[in-house]
Amino acid sequence: MVNLTIDDKQVTAPKTATIYEAAKLNGIAIPILCHDKKLKPFGACRMCLVEVEQMKGRQIPACTTPVTEGMIIRTSTPDIVKARKMVLELLLLNHPIDCPVCDKAGDCDLQNLTYEYKVDANRFTDEKFHHEIDYNNPLIERDMNRCVLCGKCARICDEIVSFGALTFISRGIETKIGCEFDEALNCEFCGSCVSVCPVGSLLARPFKFKARFWSLTKNKSVCGYCGTGCNLTLGVKDNKVLTTLYDENQGFHNGQLCVRGRFGYQFINSDKRLTKPLVRKNGKLEEAGWDEALELVAARLKDAGASTAALATARLTNEELVVFKQLLQTAGCGNYDHSAGYAHAALTEGFAGSFGASASPSTILDIQKSDLLLVIKTDAYETHPVVGFEINMAVKNKGTLLKILTDKSGKLSKLPDARTLVHTPGSEIAIINSLAKVILDNKLVDASAAALPGYAALEKELAAFTPEAVSAQCGLTAVEIKLLASAYATAEKALILFPVGQAYPGHTAALANAVANLALLAGKLGKEGGGVLCLSEKNNSQGAVDMGFQAGIGAGRIIDGCADGSITTLFLAGENPLVSYPDHARVQAALDKVEFLVVSEMFLTETAAMADVVLPVCSFAEKEGTFTATDRRVQHIKPAIRKVGQSRSDFEIFGALIAKLGGVAPGTPASVFAEISATVPGYTGMSYASLGVEGQFAPVELKPAFVMPNAPAVTVEPGKLALVTGSALYHNGTLSQYGEGPMHVCPEGYVEISRADAAASRFAENDLLTVSSAGGSMKLKAHISARMPQGVVFAPYHFGANPVNQVWSGAPVTWITLAK
Amino acid sequence: MDQILFKHNRPDRVISFDEYCAESGFRALRKALTGMSPEEVQQATIDSGMRGRGGAGFPTGKKWSFVPRDLPGPRYLICNCDEMEPGTYKDRVLLEKNPYLLIEGMALAGYALGVEHAFIFIRRGYELAAENLRRGIVEAERAGFLGRDILNSGFSLSLEVHQSAGRYICGEETALMNALEGRRANPRAKPPFPAVKGLWGQPTVVNNVETLANIPAIIDKGPAWWKSQAATPDAAGTKLFCISGHVSITDCFELPLGMTLGEIIDGPCGGMRNGSNFKACIPGGASTPYFTKEHWNVPMDFDPVAKAGSRLGTGGIVVFDHNTCMVAVTLNLVRFFARESCGWCTPCREGLPLVQHILERIEAGYGEPPDIDILHEHVRHLNHAFCALAPGAMGPVDGLLRHFKDELSEHISGKCCPFRRDTTHTC
Ligand SMILES: Cc1cc2nc3c(=O)[nH]c(=O)nc-3n(C[C@H](O)[C@H](O)[C@H](O)COP(=O)(O)O)c2cc1C
Ligand code: SF4
Ligand code: SF4
Ligand code: SF4
Ligand code: SF4
Ligand code: FES
Repeated sequence: MVNLTIDDKQVTAPKTATIYEAAKLNGIAIPILCHDKKLKPFGACRMCLVEVEQMKGRQIPACTTPVTEGMIIRTSTPDIVKARKMVLELLLLNHPIDCPVCDKAGDCDLQNLTYEYKVDANRFTDEKFHHEIDYNNPLIERDMNRCVLCGKCARICDEIVSFGALTFISRGIETKIGCEFDEALNCEFCGSCVSVCPVGSLLARPFKFKARFWSLTKNKSVCGYCGTGCNLTLGVKDNKVLTTLYDENQGFHNGQLCVRGRFGYQFINSDKRLTKPLVRKNGKLEEAGWDEALELVAARLKDAGASTAALATARLTNEELVVFKQLLQTAGCGNYDHSAGYAHAALTEGFAGSFGASASPSTILDIQKSDLLLVIKTDAYETHPVVGFEINMAVKNKGTLLKILTDKSGKLSKLPDARTLVHTPGSEIAIINSLAKVILDNKLVDASAAALPGYAALEKELAAFTPEAVSAQCGLTAVEIKLLASAYATAEKALILFPVGQAYPGHTAALANAVANLALLAGKLGKEGGGVLCLSEKNNSQGAVDMGFQAGIGAGRIIDGCADGSITTLFLAGENPLVSYPDHARVQAALDKVEFLVVSEMFLTETAAMADVVLPVCSFAEKEGTFTATDRRVQHIKPAIRKVGQSRSDFEIFGALIAKLGGVAPGTPASVFAEISATVPGYTGMSYASLGVEGQFAPVELKPAFVMPNAPAVTVEPGKLALVTGSALYHNGTLSQYGEGPMHVCPEGYVEISRADAAASRFAENDLLTVSSAGGSMKLKAHISARMPQGVVFAPYHFGANPVNQVWSGAPVTWITLAK
Repeated sequence: MDQILFKHNRPDRVISFDEYCAESGFRALRKALTGMSPEEVQQATIDSGMRGRGGAGFPTGKKWSFVPRDLPGPRYLICNCDEMEPGTYKDRVLLEKNPYLLIEGMALAGYALGVEHAFIFIRRGYELAAENLRRGIVEAERAGFLGRDILNSGFSLSLEVHQSAGRYICGEETALMNALEGRRANPRAKPPFPAVKGLWGQPTVVNNVETLANIPAIIDKGPAWWKSQAATPDAAGTKLFCISGHVSITDCFELPLGMTLGEIIDGPCGGMRNGSNFKACIPGGASTPYFTKEHWNVPMDFDPVAKAGSRLGTGGIVVFDHNTCMVAVTLNLVRFFARESCGWCTPCREGLPLVQHILERIEAGYGEPPDIDILHEHVRHLNHAFCALAPGAMGPVDGLLRHFKDELSEHISGKCCPFRRDTTHTC
């Protein structure tokens, strides 16, 4: 700590603080325009000038100048005020001052500072800018006439997002922010630049002319898409969520979101939302009253008893899942699962065996504290972009080493010094076993490992996985495997990240076991910045695991049961298996066959359209409860708007059905959460109050053991291409199909092919290709990319109109052919 | 006084490598590498009193001493040959005549600093100078004065010429490093200073061509001898003065530091051009406030010039006669600076075009009395800019306001430029 005097006040501040930070810590506000706490110091706008006595009273920027012992600082002498006014006058000189039609008005730093410094007249005159406005994409409007050249957009896109779409071009007064060759913006549309822009230069187009800033109610919430669990501020007016607003103090991610969180909120007030229950009459779904619909469902559940099964999406709240379980138990149903349990088998089976707990030992906060990150199989940026930001910052700011073991490279591979090992699809478990084998052979085993259960057996079973033997089938050399193993083993703090989810096949329990063995052998657990973090797909995937929403035969066999008649009644809560489960034909046949199908849904999805009863439910923005993020951060959500139409929360629906079945309906979400905190391991002692705004981590108690994974033999079908499925950057599950933002940018599925394969078959970008597998065939547009290895193709799953499960039947690798 | 830098010059061509060697070239390097420690080379530079010739006049040996020796990773030396300030062309003249002094000087500086990779950042237009340097480097490498294990001393140095896409701002040392790294040439915040965190985040020294070209003489003949080549006891060494404007002979001269302005103009420059009288001059490159007749006897050395309200800068003297409109001169210079602003910070990016417009207005006869206050304000405000370009840009405006207030007022009250005879403007 250093001692300094700011405006005659004796204060202390950390040695590393800038004058701005020191002042802020001590409650003294210095105006800023180009400074952002997340970004590197910039010092360009000159609004934050202060005087330092030791520097002969010169005016220096507070935002870039570090404090030193004994500094005497003045933050607002008449000279300083004059200089700041001058800065504002200069900025306003060419600025259009079109606040009446600017969406930023009310939230604009330039406007607010102009007001604060009473710059009511400009002594100077000059021409206004005449930059062309970029309206070329549907999400972000770029009006450089309003730009104050704070550089925040370009800096965040480079420093944190690592896309690098924006930069300064030209010089002098002609300087402006532009894209490559001054072309239109074409990027990943995360909206980070929009968030940090202090003026109305970068605006969210979906929000244009929707509401004035001051007329919005700002409601805090948690993103309803992926398992990262980002915090959101929803801008609400007239019971509509009109936008997401940026709050730089929100969450571990400082308010930054990905394209889904930032621009995907439109599903909440989509006019496609179901507002009334539907009941099938004479083969057609017709609107019905709640009583009628619930009565029907209750009667059916009573009748069907044990032949009922249920599948829930991991987007329900913890409380809803608990109440759903209670309903099913009341009805005598013993088979239920969430989001196809296999999508989370890594957690439910894998980690349960290896760690004695179905949860990741590490958290997202470990990423920036790590010395080495090992990302396995699927690009964690694409599935979890905000986790990706953390990885970017670790690698770029902290020098964290990044190793990627994958069947196709992704955005993370472009980070400085990232080492990407691209292996043959399906060989990942063998490779990880081989890494473990190298650690054993090279005596890099941690002292703690030998005492763990299963050590001797592991040692024996790994004998077959020498790098030489594995390299023969995995597409990597033995040397590459050895180098990776020793880099991993010798890093002080090493963290393994791997995403899991529906249609990311191969992210199995065995993979989790292999990963866990590696981390345990090398002694990486239990250290800050080290360990293993499995990234779950949905906003409450981890919650669904923690709530134990899984019993009986499992999702796959539930579908089979429907087909063979052993299951007569199927209750789907928010689940859309026709699109997201493997083997479209099989699911279709099962749903055709099942006697009674109930679907609680926000939309008339492909699956809901087949139901006998459809119950309209509300979105996360309309309900109360808790979500558990991928790293067991439990967060509390409150309604941001009233329920849309007659929709009800799943909580209410399940409660009403329990009552109809003669059970005791649960009280409120709060009382169910109290129950959870009394019974669920790790949640003990939690309350809404203790969750606060930041949420609270449910600790994970580990009972580690070695579990030898089954490494499936790598198959190759000559003459065919290996199809790996998964998630596209712009989407998450099937929900994002109802987010206008994601759909604008990525409206349909595609098949991503390497340049070599495309050239060999003379496929061009956007050619409509027939994709054929043993399971079926479908048409997809070709997308040719540099990242795909030859012989491997990728297709995202999300799209109901043309789901990829028409050719994908659940195998880690699907062998296909492509034809024009 | 002896010539140091121009001693070897051939009147009509560049000196050859053999000629340079024959005229005791690379003797200093041999002396240092065989008989002096790096610290001794640095100490000699400190003792010589050498002050940087790139514009700021910072003591060179002292700058070197800021480089921490205990940080891991490489250190870098960069020679700044961006030379884009109007009125300055000394580095070009030197390199077109003799690239070897710089090469030897960089080898010596590299030795003193423990540098293994050094760069010469040279302006795009300096084709001949760059060619001389490239050839000279190859010759020096062949002769064992550059490259690995120079003269069996264990010291290695690779020297690379980087011909930049270059703009004025690339001469600012931190912008230069950004440009060299392949980034946009914006200056960087200081601290951290380049000596601690420069090129690619490593300790880096940036020196001007002329600064480095003097090191061989300092080492060869000793700091005391070198220092004594100046005209006054307080000054140190010689200086390249490049003269332009209304004098009889415009050329680049090597003169003892500390000669008075009058001695320079009346001496080597051969006095004012026929029929013209001295009115003012830029004493040290476009960013320095004007000198007038009252400064005729100021010794042209760093401290005396500073005391007289200007800066010695680069030694680029531009002389104006009695027929010159100083508003027009200032406008011309401000236009240059406004165009060359990198656009990073508000005062410079927005302020300089405004000053330009005001001067344009005044020059065209549309000025208003409050304009003078606005100019005054900007002289102050541009001191708050991010880098030294902006305060430098206001050097001439500052001089105009201090020395030619009457001329300014005359423009405004007369609604016309008093020097314009061909004016179409009715005033
Ligand atoms: C806008 C601007 C342009 C500059 N241009 C040059 C230049 O062309 N050559 C140069 O040597 N120094 C230039 N400088 C000064 C350098 O930043 C630096 O101080 C100098 O190269 C240090 O060398 P010296 O210590 O040998 O003088 C410039 C400074 C500024 C602010
Ligand atoms: S939206 Fe994201 S990727 Fe696109 S320019 Fe802005 S910050 Fe960069
Ligand atoms: S567009 Fe916005 S964020 Fe980007 S430089 Fe301009 S004002 Fe700053
Ligand atoms: S989708 Fe995931 S990463 Fe994106 S904003 Fe939502 S929680 Fe964050
Ligand atoms: S003073 Fe001018 S040149 Fe220097 S950083 Fe600011 S805008 Fe760029
Ligand atoms: S906030 Fe400090 S210079 Fe912009």
